[in-house]
Amino acid sequence: MAFPYAFRLAAQSLLHEKWINLLSILTIAAGLLFIAITVLSVYNVDVATKKLPEKFSMMLYLKDNLSREEIENIINIVGKKGAIETVKYISKDEALKELKAMLKDTVYVLDGLGENPLFDSIEVKLKNVAVSPETEKRLAVELREIKGVGEIEYGEQFLSSLYSVKVGMKTITILFVIIMSVGMIFVCYSTVKILFYRKNEEIETYKLLGATRRFITAPFIIEGAVIGFSGGLISLIGILLLYYTVILKHSLTIPLFKAIIFPINIALFLPLVGLLIGMTGSAIAIGRIKY
Amino acid sequence: MIHFHDVSKYYDNHTALRKITFSVEKGEMVFITGPSGSGKSTLLKLIYLAEKPDEGTISVAGWEIDKMKKSSVPLLRRGIGVVFQDFRLLNNRDVFENVALALRIRGVNDKELKVRVFDSLKIVNLRHKADSYPIALSGGEQQRVAIARAIVAEPSIILADEPTGNVDPDTSVGIIRTFKDINTKGSTILIATHNRELFRNTGKRVLKLDNGNFAGEEIA
Repeated sequence: MAFPYAFRLAAQSLLHEKWINLLSILTIAAGLLFIAITVLSVYNVDVATKKLPEKFSMMLYLKDNLSREEIENIINIVGKKGAIETVKYISKDEALKELKAMLKDTVYVLDGLGENPLFDSIEVKLKNVAVSPETEKRLAVELREIKGVGEIEYGEQFLSSLYSVKVGMKTITILFVIIMSVGMIFVCYSTVKILFYRKNEEIETYKLLGATRRFITAPFIIEGAVIGFSGGLISLIGILLLYYTVILKHSLTIPLFKAIIFPINIALFLPLVGLLIGMTGSAIAIGRIKY
Repeated sequence: MIHFHDVSKYYDNHTALRKITFSVEKGEMVFITGPSGSGKSTLLKLIYLAEKPDEGTISVAGWEIDKMKKSSVPLLRRGIGVVFQDFRLLNNRDVFENVALALRIRGVNDKELKVRVFDSLKIVNLRHKADSYPIALSGGEQQRVAIARAIVAEPSIILADEPTGNVDPDTSVGIIRTFKDINTKGSTILIATHNRELFRNTGKRVLKLDNGNFAGEEIA
């Protein structure tokens, strides 16, 4: 079959059945827009939480009355661990000084303490890749076995919660994208099936004149692809409008908006995603029709 | 070219054709006649595979119909031009596009297609109606469009089911003359008609059907 003719038939059908096609296009556009907003939100949360490890550290509190050699020995052992970026020794006098600086006007609460109650400590910063609940836990067990090390503090619960939230969000997003995609494929599937049945007489004539399956189905696949692509294009315009006219415009008045990252390269794929959804829907519809 | 051997076709409790055997040679023009409901249309439908036989064997242009793969059916049909009883014209396409459809299905390029469509329309005297839509044509004109579509691809076999059913006697004569002209160029033609006037004195073979049974043959 000459492909231009299949395109012509598809164009004629798109115009002739404009209302049902328009409805499908808008449904797909809305679906893809929801997906784009969800993915954009999760992407931003992910980027924001990726910056947290830079500020994350483990505190190793040392036992009292350790000699200079013993402390240096501990620092050496800790520094040799693979996942560790930096090791910093903080004496109990420095710690007290920092505490006083932090308390500022309320420093009087320390007046009754007499002797410095704080411990010598070692602040350990981990390499970004190593900041995960499992690595932290494993490292804490290893460090606790070093002679002279007392308590270890590393915000175990916070880290676990953070990772649970991230994993949960990603899972929900994936499920949401799958459900929405299946829904949009079904919209295209139903549209093409309706169009196919409406043209039953015409298709029967094609068959009797010797048309191959490809000749008959090609215009429907093209039509599905155009519906999907148009839906994707509208959703791209929607997400661009949302970003440039709402988020970017109001970022001066709402500071949170300033932090939002908009990956335009990913957004440009929306028409392509729509095209694939449209083609998949129509291909399934054509495949399931007996003729 | 066309061979039927003991072919029967049943619809529920009704026998449309019973043990029909006949042959049509290449280049022949044959009339099939009989009263309404005698099985003429069913016989033609079996040739272009709109129906399948329940018994017997059919071969058309070298294809053994009962052994054919589904994917080969379009190939067989491309070798056959059919004038359907109800014309089967597409009302959303003009006359040119209706006739051109037979060539588009065969993948003919636009330049050649244009020449051949206008040639066919000229044969049936409808060159001037190329831009009209079927709905704006009379029954006879629609019939001639259907004929133009059947002959445009120059198929080796042409089947016509009551091709003069909706036209006046003068137009009927013209249509039969058109078929005769096409036949002289080598096409095998089968015309189903209940109108005996159509083949009187044509010198062509006539196969007679009666209530689904073969009722003999004669030379008109």
